[in-house]
This record gives sequence, C-alpha cells and structure tokens, in this order.
Amino acid sequence: MSGPDHKSDPGNATGGQLPAGSEAAFSMRGTLLRKNLMTALLLAPATLWLVVFLVLPFVAIAIFSVGERAPEGGYQAAFTLAQYANLPARATAFWNTMVLAPVGAFACLLVAYPVAYYLALRAPERWRLILLALVVIPFWTSLLMRTYAWMYVLGGRGIPALLAYVGIEDVRLINTPGAVLLGIVYGYLPLMILPIYVSLERLDRRLLEASADLGATPLSTFFGVTLRLSLPGVMTGFSLVMILLLGEYLIPTLLGGGKVFFIGNALVDLFLQSRNWPFGSAIAITLVLVSVVVLIAANRISARLSGARRVDLI
Amino acid sequence: MSKSYRDGLPISPEKFVDQLMRLKRGSISRRDFLGLTGLGVATAVMARELGIMPTPAFAAENLGDRMSIATWPNYHDPQTFENFKAETGVAVEVNVFGSNEEMLAKLQAGGSGWSLFVPTNYTISTYKKLGIIEPLDMAKLGNFDASKEDARFTAEGTIDGTIYAVPKNWGTTGFAVNTKKLAKPMSSWKEFWDTAMAEGDGRTMVHDYQLTTIGNALKYYGYSFNSLKQDELAKAEELLLKVKPHLFAVSSDYQPSMRAGDAWMTMCWTNDGAQLHRDIPEIAYVLGKEGGEIWTDFYAIPKDAPNKPAGYALLNYLMNPKVAVKEHLANGAPSIDARVNALLPKEVMDNPILYPAADLLKPLEFGAAATLTDPGRAELMARFKSA
Amino acid sequence: MRAFVIAVFAFLYLPIALVVLFSFNAGHHASEFTGFSEQWYGKALSNPFLVEALKNSLFIASTSALLAAFCGTAAALGLQRVGARTRGVFDALLGAAIVVPGVVIGISTLVALVQLFAVVNPFLASVWPTDQPPRLALGYGSIIAAHGLFSMALVTMIVGTRLSSLDRNLIEASSDLYATPLTTFRSIVLPQIMPAVTAGFLLAFTFSFDDFIIAFFVAGAQTTLPIYVFASIRRGVTPEINAIATMVLAASVLLVLLAQWQLGRRKPSP
Repeated sequence: MSGPDHKSDPGNATGGQLPAGSEAAFSMRGTLLRKNLMTALLLAPATLWLVVFLVLPFVAIAIFSVGERAPEGGYQAAFTLAQYANLPARATAFWNTMVLAPVGAFACLLVAYPVAYYLALRAPERWRLILLALVVIPFWTSLLMRTYAWMYVLGGRGIPALLAYVGIEDVRLINTPGAVLLGIVYGYLPLMILPIYVSLERLDRRLLEASADLGATPLSTFFGVTLRLSLPGVMTGFSLVMILLLGEYLIPTLLGGGKVFFIGNALVDLFLQSRNWPFGSAIAITLVLVSVVVLIAANRISARLSGARRVDLI
Repeated sequence: MSKSYRDGLPISPEKFVDQLMRLKRGSISRRDFLGLTGLGVATAVMARELGIMPTPAFAAENLGDRMSIATWPNYHDPQTFENFKAETGVAVEVNVFGSNEEMLAKLQAGGSGWSLFVPTNYTISTYKKLGIIEPLDMAKLGNFDASKEDARFTAEGTIDGTIYAVPKNWGTTGFAVNTKKLAKPMSSWKEFWDTAMAEGDGRTMVHDYQLTTIGNALKYYGYSFNSLKQDELAKAEELLLKVKPHLFAVSSDYQPSMRAGDAWMTMCWTNDGAQLHRDIPEIAYVLGKEGGEIWTDFYAIPKDAPNKPAGYALLNYLMNPKVAVKEHLANGAPSIDARVNALLPKEVMDNPILYPAADLLKPLEFGAAATLTDPGRAELMARFKSA
Repeated sequence: MRAFVIAVFAFLYLPIALVVLFSFNAGHHASEFTGFSEQWYGKALSNPFLVEALKNSLFIASTSALLAAFCGTAAALGLQRVGARTRGVFDALLGAAIVVPGVVIGISTLVALVQLFAVVNPFLASVWPTDQPPRLALGYGSIIAAHGLFSMALVTMIVGTRLSSLDRNLIEASSDLYATPLTTFRSIVLPQIMPAVTAGFLLAFTFSFDDFIIAFFVAGAQTTLPIYVFASIRRGVTPEINAIATMVLAASVLLVLLAQWQLGRRKPSP
C-alpha cells in the first residue's frame, strides 16, 4: 500500500486543482500518526481493489501475451513475441474499429447536438426536466433488448417487409455497416447528449445577447460563441463514445451478423471460439494502449480547442 | 473412418492433461460453492419426491429443481422439457451453441454449469483426454439399449471400453436453398460457393464453425473435409476471403434469417434442413456431390456438472423411445435407435432429407478429432471472420 | 429544429415501444405479432431461470454499487490527504479502470482469476482440516468485483470533484468552534458530498445492471439478466423476455417519477 506522502504541501500537491485546507479540517487535532493511519484506512479498500482486479489481471494478460496456445487451446507457458508478430492478422478488425468508432461517434454527435441545443437553450422551462428524463430513460431498458428490437425492425419482417408491401422487393438492411452504425448512434446517443447539454446549459446567455447586439448574425453567433463554448462538452461526449466503441462487441454481433467485425469481436472470438488465449491477450494489451493514446489525443485536442478543462458529467 | 480421430492428435498428453486439470479444478468448486452459499440447501428443500421415473435407480436420488443443458439451435421439442419438469419437478434451461469449439472453450474455462450437453462424435476423445467428461454410469440409464443402436454411429462414444457418451441422432451437413429466390438447381459445393458470389450475393450464410465452413470450402477443390495440409488450407482460405464480402452472415443459427427471407441460401445441418422444408416447402436441402460431413451427436455429462442426478435423469428420460420419437419429429434428424425408428411414421423414414441416396452418402466423411483441435484451422477461421 | 428533436425522440423510443408491444403478444415468438395477451407476464414470473437471472442482477448491481460508493467515497476522502506522487499513481489507476474497455476487463479478470484459483484451491485443499475445503470459483464474487472496479473509479472521481469545490470556510469555522474532526465530517462534509455519492451509486447500479460483456466472461455458471437475454436471442426470444424488460422499464420510470416528486417537495423551484 502506498503510504501517505506528507512531505509535500497538499496545496501544491494536487496541481492546483484542489484547494488546500481540507486535510487540516479532517484531522487538525490528530497526531501525525493517527492522521496517517486514517489516510491509510481510507485508501486501503480502493487500493486493494485496484491491485487485485486491475493491476493483477493486467500483469496476467501481459504474461499470457508472450506465451503460446496450448495444442487443444488455452495457454501454455513460453516466452515468445510471436503473438505480437501475428497482430497484422487482425489488421482488418483494428481498421474497422478505428474507422467505425470515430465515424460512429461523429454521427452520434451530429444527431445529439441539435437535441442538446434545443434542450438547453430553446425548450420551454417546464418541459426541460421532462425532456431530459426522456433522454435518460432508454438507459433503463436493457441495451440488448433495444438492439434486439432493431434486429426485428431491420430484419426481413420489419422495414423490408413494409417496403415489399409497396412494391420495393428484396431490400436488405440488417448485417450491413449501415445497420451497425445505426445501432451505435442509437445506443450511445444519450451519452453524447448529456455532456453537451451540460456545457450548453452553463453557457452565459449574456454572451449570446452581446453577440447579437454587436450585429452578429444568428449563424455567426452560433459558430463564434455557442459552438466554441460548448466544445468541452462535445469533446467529453466524443471521447466517451469513442472509448466505449473501441471495445464494442454487442452491436456489431447483433446488427452486423458476424460480418462487421470489431476488435472486440475478434477478442471474444479468440477466447470463446478459437481458444487462443495468448494471442487474445496480446490483442487486449494493444487495444488498451490504443485506447489510452486515443484518449490522450482527444484530451489534447479538446484543451487546445477550448483552452479549458473537459466538462465532467456530474 | 472413425479410426482417424486418434491420429494426428498433437501430443504431449501428460503436459496437457496437467494443464487442463488445473483449469478444471477451478470449476469443480461450484457444488461446494452452492453448499456454502446455502443455495444447495434451498434446492434440497425445494426438491420433490419422485416415483414416476421409469428406472427405479434415481427415484431415491435428490434431483434438485433445476439444471441446464448445452445443445444446438432448434434441436429439441420444447414440450419435452415441459413434460420432464411436470414429471420430476426439474426445470431445464436450454443453452444453445454454434460450434463444438464454443462448447469446448466454455468447458475448458471451467464452471460451464451444464449437467448435460450434446457434443458431436469427433469431440469425445478430446473431452476424455482433457478429463472434462464423466464416464457414464450405465446403471442410471436403464432406458438405453445398446443392442438397438445402429453401430455405424455409436463407436466414438466408447473409449477403451468405457462409455462416455450415448448417441442422440446422426445427420449430414449440406446446404439449404430458397428455390423461389434461387431457382437454378444446385447439387454441389462448387455451385454453393459460386452462387454465393453471384445470384446469392448478400443472401448467403455460412456456419460460425471452422470445421464445417473450412471443410466445405475444401470441398470446392475436391480436397478432404478434414484436410490439415498447408497448401489445401491456403486454397480454402483464399476462397473464403473472396466470398466473405458477398455473405449475409457468419452464423450457425440460420433458421430465423431463412424463415424471415433475409437469407436465401445457407450451410445447413440435416435437422434444420428438415425443419425448414417442412414449414416452408420451397426451401430445399442439398448435399454436395463432392461429399462433406456426416456426423453423430451424442449426449454426455461434464465432470463438473452441478446437478449430475438431474443430468442422468434427463438423459434417461430422453432415451425413452416414446420421448425420443417426439424429439425426432420436432428436430428432424434421423434416429440411431431401432426402437425409435419403429415408432416413426413412414413418411419420416422415407424422407430423402433424412435418408439421402447411397451415392450421396458414400463420399461423406466423419469429422476427425484433429480437425476440431488443429490450431491452424482455428486461426484460419478467426482470420476469415475478422477479414 | 423542433421537428428534428421530435424525430430523434421517436427514434429513441421506437425500439422501446416494440419491446413493450411484443410483451403483449399472444404468439410464441417475439418476431410475429399474432394477438393480444398478457400471459407472458405470468410465464416470465414463473420461469425460475429468468427470475433467478433478474434476482442475480439486482443483487450484483446493488452490492457492487454499494461497495463502489463506499470504497470510492473513502478513497476520494483519502486522496485529499496525500501528496502529489501518491495522488498521481491513484489518478492513473482510476483513469485506467474507467478507460480500459469492458471486454478487456472481462478477459483479463477471467485469465487472472482462473490462474489464481488454480494456485489457491489446491493450497486450500492441502491445509484444510476437513475433507470439504472451500473452493474459490467464478460467480457472484467475480462479477461484483469486476463491475465494482469501474464503478468505484467513477465514484472516486465524482466525489473527488465535489470535495474540491467544498466551501473551506465552513470547515474552518467548524473546527474553530471546537468540533471534532468526526463531527465536522458528519455535519459539514457528508451532507455536501451526499448528492455526488448518490449520483455515483445510481450510475454504478445502472452500469452493472445493464453490463453484458464483463459478466459474460467472469460469471462462471451464474446468470445475470443480460446474459440470459443474450442466450435467449440465440435460442429464439419469447415474449417472456419482453415482459421482464417492460417490468424493469416500468419500475425505473416509477423510481424516476418518485425521485422527481421528492426533489420537487424538498425545494419548490428546481
């Protein structure tokens, strides 16, 4: 357990994010020892949790990733970089993920922004909370069930049957990249709306008025003021959805029919079908590294664009 | 043919069994876990007295109130399990899988939770070697009569004189075609793959299973269904990658898509072919004239089965010819049990989907154990799917 | 713009409407509507596997959310009292717990636990005095822990943000008035961070209740509701599943309304 480090001044310690003083408040009258013990007790459960279920598993897959597939599948101890050398065999799955994740997040953004804008700036006051609740409620119906409903809508008995009724035969919607994209936009829309809503809601309306008073057109007010100021929310939503999409499995499985293959599908396949645990571990590690790079990049971009920190959901 | 399952097993058996014993140990604990958490007590309390089962052997045993079975899509008459529940108080949860590899992966990771499952002939030697299936206690299976079983299909359930699995039914792997959409008559795997890239573009399905998908791609070139030869597999991969963009889906559960009209042609097992043709007459079942697969599905009990008494009870129930005959009527695959055949209606026994002509049966091959476990084929399939 | 917003809401609710509609289907499949019936609600509630899956999900979600809320809040408080280096390490780990894709969490936890059990169980068996040593296995524990990891990190961040915006003057005033640290915590800090803790708990519950991919790997022989639904999609969905989904939806909408009403009572102008 990492011991509390009291040498540094708590004010500087947190990079200016945390105002000084709370430490003093909690244990002003305690001896240094009691104070340290208390800190250790507070941090112990979380530390234990992080070590056993985050660090240890990561070490385990790191070890597995340099091992070999046992003859009938599973893992067999070895030291080889063969698994990493084999990564190009999943290049298409990586590519699909790297293309569909940002495209999906961007499509999500295009749909989400006007909704968030309407909710934050245009909707009548008494409707706002209700509409906001309506955005969140879909979260409480299983995503699986809702995606299954899309399987029905896009499948032969859904829209294609309706189209056949009016004379347009043999339309195929399900198991296409379009179907997967629709599922992605559908599944993650609320996650995109909420942070944008939060940042638009905090926006100082006097700025909009000032812009209008100074003779700006509504369009230039939107691009010059509104959009710029809501960028932190946009970036939060965008990177949130991106991160989730990088590990996506369900939506391509259900709406892509095993044809639109994400890296998440490749991973599940390696563990539950072809039983190549070492290769799966190597891909998992690569995926984590990619996710971290993507997140850092998104953070940098967002910082540069807005000069501000990202907006937290709460 | 069934000799070949012992050949070509990539061996260092001791090392392997050792490895898998370790995995297995993690899972056996489920029963103890049930005991510790009190769930075991709860099941015991809720269990009912029985006296209805045909064989007295388990009348005395505590069957609990639930069990789960791992099987294939559309493989049973749901009414069978309802009846079993009515008779014994044991509710049966049905888990379906798309490939034997998936079942193997689940059993290897431990804690599958199944008390009965339906493996295919070529898997049993591997399961036995890994020590993850139970030698069957035949005293508990009074309804099974080995002398009535068709010996052509039963051999692989017995290893070194010990019975590990008893047969359910046999069948073939061909393809189903919706003849209203694809009118051109077809009779070979070559036509299947060529049509998938032409008239059947975007409407063809293949199994999410390396054994059959690669095996039938090998058949395009006339190679053995079980081939492990590098150059032959490379040709199969080339074909598969060429076909991939034209497919509708890679999935072993093709009945819903065929019924909804989304898919027009699919790789297909006998039982699904019979069911589809029965309900939708324009869907035909075709065996490739180059050959392909013939198989037997068995029942087996995992070593770590959480409810073995119920697993045995259900297995024995399913071996009752009166029950089995209903299962066969629903499932559609040909039975191995002469007692069941005697009860089946004539039109079933004459159905060419179930009992193909001798010249179509002759080139078929049984899958081999090495075909299932070959790492090269597993990786080829994974590459094909992720392409 | 209003038309667009209405269209988006229609898009959001079309599948939900279908789920609810098919729960009243008389037929056996969730894919062909053959008539109106409410029989599936009864059938769903008498299906032992479905009910067990629902109970498991409720148990796992509430336990993991409670543990996450508790440990996460403790960690957020603890992190206020440590130096930059410790804090940096924690922030990195917490960030990782949030960023690492669920599929990787599931796989790596499975790999680690299977190996761990392979070592621990024989050891337990060798030292245990009786014939029936306890055996560790995948199940409730592993799902709760794996779900809780993400949730705890979430709670720590949410509560941490809240703590950093606490009004220091109040705390100083409190200790100037000779309140013990515990009293200060109970009467000043806790009420102020409570909304953040509750929000964290709710998010954690929702996440765990709907998670499929992590549980898929670490559930062992246990079934959660999403795992059951996924298995049903493979074997053919019956309207039972729609009935359960509808009931869960109704219950959560009811809870939202209740919460709104409570909030509305507490402070008239929200």
